[in-house]
Amino acid sequence: MKTKLFRLLSSFLLMFAFGFTVQAQSISGTVTDENGVPLPGATVLVEGTQNGVSTDFDGNYSISASSGDTLVVSFVGYTTQSVVVGSSSTIDVSLQPDNALEEVVVTALGVKRNTKAVGYSITQVEGDEISANPSTNAINALQGKVAGVMITGSAMGAKGSSRVVIRGASSLSGNNQPLYVVDGITINNNNLGAAGMWGGTDFGDGVSSINPDDVESVSVLKGGAAAALYGSRASNGVIIITTKSGLGGEGIGIEINSTSQFDMLNNSLWDAQTIYGAGTQGLAPTTALGATDNLYSSWGARMEGQTVMQFDGISRPYTYQGNNQDRFYRTGTTFSNTVSLSTSSEKGNTRFSFTNMDNDDISPESTLDRNSLSINTSQKLGKNISLDASIKYITEDQAGNPNVSDAPGNANWVTKQYAPSVDVMWGQGPNGNGTNEDGLTEYVFTSGIYITNPWFAQNMFIKDLEKERFIGAMNLRWDLADYLYIRGRVGVDRFDAHRTNSTPYGTRYQTLGSISEYKLATKSYDADLFLGTDNLSIVDDFSLTAFVGISSYKNENESINISGSEFIVPGLVSYANTKNKSAGYGFSEKQINSAYGSAELGYKDYAFLSLTARNDWFSTLSLAGKEAPNNDLYTSASLSLVLSDAMDLGSDVDFLKFRAGYSQVAGGADDPYKLSLSYSILGNPHLGNPMGQINGGQIPNSEITPFEKNETEFGLDLRMFDNKFSIDATYYDNETEGDIVGVSASNTSGYNSALANLGKVSNKGIELLVKVKPIVTDDFAMELSLNYTNNDSEVVATNDTNGMVSLDEPRGVNGNRNMRVMHIVGERYGALFGTSFKRDDNGHIVHENSAGYPQPVVDNNRKILGFGVAPEQLGLGASFRYKDWNASLLVEGKMGGQIMSGSNAEMLGRGLHKMTVPAGGRHAGWTPEGVMEDGSPVTQSLTVAQQQNYWEKYNDAAEAGIYDADYMRLRNLSIGYNVPKSLLEGTSIQSASISLIGKNLFFLSNSVDNIDPESAYNSNNSQGLEYWGMPVPRTVGVNVNLKF
Amino acid sequence: MKKILITCLSLAFFFTSCEFDKGFEEMNVNPNSASQVGVATKITKLQTDISGGRYENWRNSLIYNSTIVQHHAENNWWAGDTYNRNDDWSFAQWNEAYGKMVKGVQDIIHQLETEGDTGTHMGMARIMRVFIFHRVTDLYGDCPYSEAGKGYIDGILKPKYDKQQDIYMDMLKELEEAVAQISGDGALGGADVIFGGSAAKWKAFGNSMMLRLAMRLTAADAATAQAWAVKAIGAGTMTSNDHIAAVKHGDGSSGRRNGHGEVYLADQGSRISTTFMSRMDGDPRKTRLFMRVSDKSRAAADLLGMKNGLKNDPYTDLDGNAIPAAGDTSIYAMAATELQSITAPMAMQTYAEVEFLKAEAAIRGWISTSDKDHYEAGVTAAMKMLAPMYGTAEITDAEISAYLAGPGAYKAGGTVAERWEQVMDQYWIATYLNEYEAFSNWRRSGFPTITATRHPNSYTNGQIMVRMIYPTAESGSNAENYAAAVANQGADSYTTPVWWDK
Repeated sequence: MKTKLFRLLSSFLLMFAFGFTVQAQSISGTVTDENGVPLPGATVLVEGTQNGVSTDFDGNYSISASSGDTLVVSFVGYTTQSVVVGSSSTIDVSLQPDNALEEVVVTALGVKRNTKAVGYSITQVEGDEISANPSTNAINALQGKVAGVMITGSAMGAKGSSRVVIRGASSLSGNNQPLYVVDGITINNNNLGAAGMWGGTDFGDGVSSINPDDVESVSVLKGGAAAALYGSRASNGVIIITTKSGLGGEGIGIEINSTSQFDMLNNSLWDAQTIYGAGTQGLAPTTALGATDNLYSSWGARMEGQTVMQFDGISRPYTYQGNNQDRFYRTGTTFSNTVSLSTSSEKGNTRFSFTNMDNDDISPESTLDRNSLSINTSQKLGKNISLDASIKYITEDQAGNPNVSDAPGNANWVTKQYAPSVDVMWGQGPNGNGTNEDGLTEYVFTSGIYITNPWFAQNMFIKDLEKERFIGAMNLRWDLADYLYIRGRVGVDRFDAHRTNSTPYGTRYQTLGSISEYKLATKSYDADLFLGTDNLSIVDDFSLTAFVGISSYKNENESINISGSEFIVPGLVSYANTKNKSAGYGFSEKQINSAYGSAELGYKDYAFLSLTARNDWFSTLSLAGKEAPNNDLYTSASLSLVLSDAMDLGSDVDFLKFRAGYSQVAGGADDPYKLSLSYSILGNPHLGNPMGQINGGQIPNSEITPFEKNETEFGLDLRMFDNKFSIDATYYDNETEGDIVGVSASNTSGYNSALANLGKVSNKGIELLVKVKPIVTDDFAMELSLNYTNNDSEVVATNDTNGMVSLDEPRGVNGNRNMRVMHIVGERYGALFGTSFKRDDNGHIVHENSAGYPQPVVDNNRKILGFGVAPEQLGLGASFRYKDWNASLLVEGKMGGQIMSGSNAEMLGRGLHKMTVPAGGRHAGWTPEGVMEDGSPVTQSLTVAQQQNYWEKYNDAAEAGIYDADYMRLRNLSIGYNVPKSLLEGTSIQSASISLIGKNLFFLSNSVDNIDPESAYNSNNSQGLEYWGMPVPRTVGVNVNLKF
Repeated sequence: MKKILITCLSLAFFFTSCEFDKGFEEMNVNPNSASQVGVATKITKLQTDISGGRYENWRNSLIYNSTIVQHHAENNWWAGDTYNRNDDWSFAQWNEAYGKMVKGVQDIIHQLETEGDTGTHMGMARIMRVFIFHRVTDLYGDCPYSEAGKGYIDGILKPKYDKQQDIYMDMLKELEEAVAQISGDGALGGADVIFGGSAAKWKAFGNSMMLRLAMRLTAADAATAQAWAVKAIGAGTMTSNDHIAAVKHGDGSSGRRNGHGEVYLADQGSRISTTFMSRMDGDPRKTRLFMRVSDKSRAAADLLGMKNGLKNDPYTDLDGNAIPAAGDTSIYAMAATELQSITAPMAMQTYAEVEFLKAEAAIRGWISTSDKDHYEAGVTAAMKMLAPMYGTAEITDAEISAYLAGPGAYKAGGTVAERWEQVMDQYWIATYLNEYEAFSNWRRSGFPTITATRHPNSYTNGQIMVRMIYPTAESGSNAENYAAAVANQGADSYTTPVWWDK
């Protein structure tokens, strides 16, 4: 029994893999829809053979066929059409819409499946959506596009990593980011450095190595059912990236894609006061020392052009000096150029591409240079054997990565915080780079040794990373029979990174400087072997697609770290030139072995039941003498019911599918060597005596097991009115049990935490995707889309006593550790928990009078002030095509989350925030709003000095920095023009297009003062912490694409 | 169909016969660490931890303690003489003590017990344990003691807080038992970077700590204080500067250097307080301990102290009067270069302190030896120890005699209170840069007399701080025990006195 489904599947398999030839002539033509609009990606197959091609961007195809052959032309959502080849070498085909939906998606293990049969939510984004508006990190291009996938930006500059969470975080403290699979091979997404409470810089993540220009499509497997077959590493969902192949068009194709982008400050965000200058207690500085001490205290006099002594002893007019950020930051540039060659024949196809991306970030001296080489080939080796292989080689140079969060070495901290009367340019010093005459030591401009001169920080600090990465994959398929195949796959992802950090000689907080060199070699291996059957008919009306397999994943990390402090020869930045040297060596390895199987039972081509099972064995959970298991078996079941095929729903309904799924997936246990206490000998002895100590601050637990995540999901997929309206809706409910947590311990126990399987966290939510195509004519087409996500997370259990678990702590303003990110049972994931103002029943701040004037009373009993993870996300897309012009835009927003803006809290205390300037000016006095402890309103007016003390005290309450982080922004905008074919006639150019692109252009709404609401300084589980990060820029650019 | 069944069956057989976790147990053993290391290596580490790094020596010892007792003044951001709140600085010592020292010493004692070594090494370890805990309880009051540091050993994740009184009674008992356990020199040798493994010195130190702890209780429980002081003195305390308990340092990487020295590498902002400077007239130590910042002059006439609690810009004193040089603090004195050394030993307890405590015991009539003799021996030892410890110019016998005959002459005919004050003032001078001890002894005795500053940003409304506050984390990670401690001791504030501070 050869069903339509089988034919389609095989045609796609052919397109995917290979073709063979009959001696033939070349037939070419254009495939269009019923309105004559070209259909790119339509399949043209010579019936009864495996010879197939797909149409290019303009619907053109070219195929070898003999007279009398039948061409079978098919495309998703259209009725397949057959045309017999006659004498003409040109065959144009117009397809009619089909009520039945026939499209394939890439699912787990790279298996392409018909959408019909898939009983869970899966979203595919095409590569042109990513390459059309590229980002230095490819994954950012998905921001706001996929329901259920939250991608959170940060304030860490162009090299920053992204936080990607699918259907809510499933682990309290473990990894919550998805598994990335590129061309069938899982890749490492480790972060090579991130900022924390005490500052630091971001060296990007693993997925940022993937070249956006090479991406053919991205499939997001959101739920456990989708991910069950990738095993425990997929417990947070899977993002499958398929890179471009050489398919499409015969002979050699050449494509050139060039994008230039420019990053500019978004000055509309910054709104600090510009009336009062540097100083304290309402007075301008009177001495050079006073000026130096108060550069970042905006509690001086009203700026009226009076002559005031500056830090360098020179008196200058005391006026608003303009926006320091404009002067310090530059226009960032990103130039990305790709050349690709592709060739396709009956025997197979090959694509080769090279991309250079060169980024200068907005922060001075901060650069990123990436070269990507990619070769994909798909070859038929024999009658029944085909081989796919891909190689990616990527080199990346990062330099001058900016420090964020705490002040030392953080140019943003001081550039943004200078009083309005101070010009950041004054700090450039005699050499223009923040050094003294000697060209080495930090030019003192600001007092406080930990407040680093921003020019010095960006010009003299070294924060560099070199990365060299190789990803290779090979996939061999052998068709044993027409229904049975065996497939083997091996892949390797290895990268070598070399990181150099140096605090230079002459830095005030470390006068003799230091350097560290860190080399990391990471190797991951993936191997799979499986036996499968394609759409085997069992009895009438029943079909079976199934496979069983085994796999192994191994990861090895080896690191060498040498560091030295106190440079001997000033200015020679070298480890060899340090007085105190130390060295470290690290090694870790882990392995997961698995056995798995899947069976999909189809009934009459409209009902499909899929069952999967997988067992994972973890090296990280293995220990001699351990009683608890080191492995876990988990299963999934999903059902797809295509009602539109099962019964007649009328002509308006093109397609209606219900789906339901239940899945389990194991997870956790990411780190090796956690099961027993161990000791190490420190690198350097003390006075010749070796020193030994306990490793780590966590109490090991030898009986740890994997956690298990259970998920139920229901969904429907409806398409109506000739596909002009479609809706895809999903409800899901998942819970992680036995999450491996560090049960928080009092540090008086000697440890910070104890490892245990005690965490429980749940997520419930809906995902909605609605598409409307109100107008589709020959000349004009319009498509509107809306995607919406609402994820309701709950921390169900934290530890043995269900006490609060601390995730992280920000750098408190004024050194007051007044808040933490906590997991609190019964609450959403990651509460911002801290001190607040004491308020009366009407919500007025209560004041006390112990200092002789009213000051706010801080309630030191901490409470929940907000949540750093937004539960809601909305994306509104629109695309238009008018003749050769096209345009698209994406408005994106997040709602319901909060941010702890340390910057705003600090600006209050330093008199820079607009709130510190009363309507009549500071010197006229100011009466705080609120009540006294007896309930009477505050009536006393505060002097300038008292106002300063008031606001300095005000930010003792963490509440002072808490904002709703709701926003809506124009995330992407592009306007493109395809040069008409008629203009290209007679040239070797097949197609040419140009587009203008813009990203992050403006906000439709933003609830946070002075900063971008997505300004977190890290991408880890403790979200909602902001403290003097990089400004988030606006980007405009132009993209040119030429095909030869 | 048959073929498939056969294939499936053979696959099933293949799976079941596979050993999917072969080699996993070996793989999950860290090749770079050991399941146990020798006690000697842990003791060296513990002793450098006790000496402390830049982190807590900056925050607690210098920023808070040294300015509270007005050894130092600082007009920019140090918080101890302006009575400012900074949680992070306040609990630095707590975090380091429990996170490293208590954890380390409990691990050492557990290992010794396991290995059946209950002699000399155990005695030394128990004395170090007392030293660690007395510092913590002196700063914070009630604190985890009996259950502390046992997260791995006994699985105690949330240790209870013991009352300071109970802690002191147990520590005194511990010292007595520990000294008794020490017989021979043991096997540590140079790995003991305090005493080189000398049993005699450890015994003297154990007894001297017993004396320190006993005298701490003079206000809270005089009878207990007397009993243990007499016992300690009878058992044999330090008898010379050779007995000084100090952790040796070298110029290695961070963690091997003197923590104060590391602070001075980064922060040259501290100045000698006028309170301190004013008591050093005619004292030969003045020209050894201090130097003028601007030109490093050691001449007595060039050495000027800075007032505590100054505001910066406008540079005014407490009454709003302008101060010299408009904030140019280089006119004042700071610790001399030698005292800033990263290779200097870090004192835990000195022989001079012991003599002063004995002088006090004699003044109180608890012992029959001469308070004057103890006082003079103390002053002499305090002057003589500087050259070997820091490498400052030797103080000659003639200078010492002149001082003891002149400004430092013992008021042998004075009242008990006058003599006590004089001895305590000397204790305070002798504990310069042992700021934990200076802070505790000032609180216990009330000497020297310190005038509170009146900084407008004071968190305590001008009250001198007498305690450090607990880590904010404790109210979350150890909530019940923390609450019980606060209920017992009083508000977790800088102004709640600890039990012995009556």
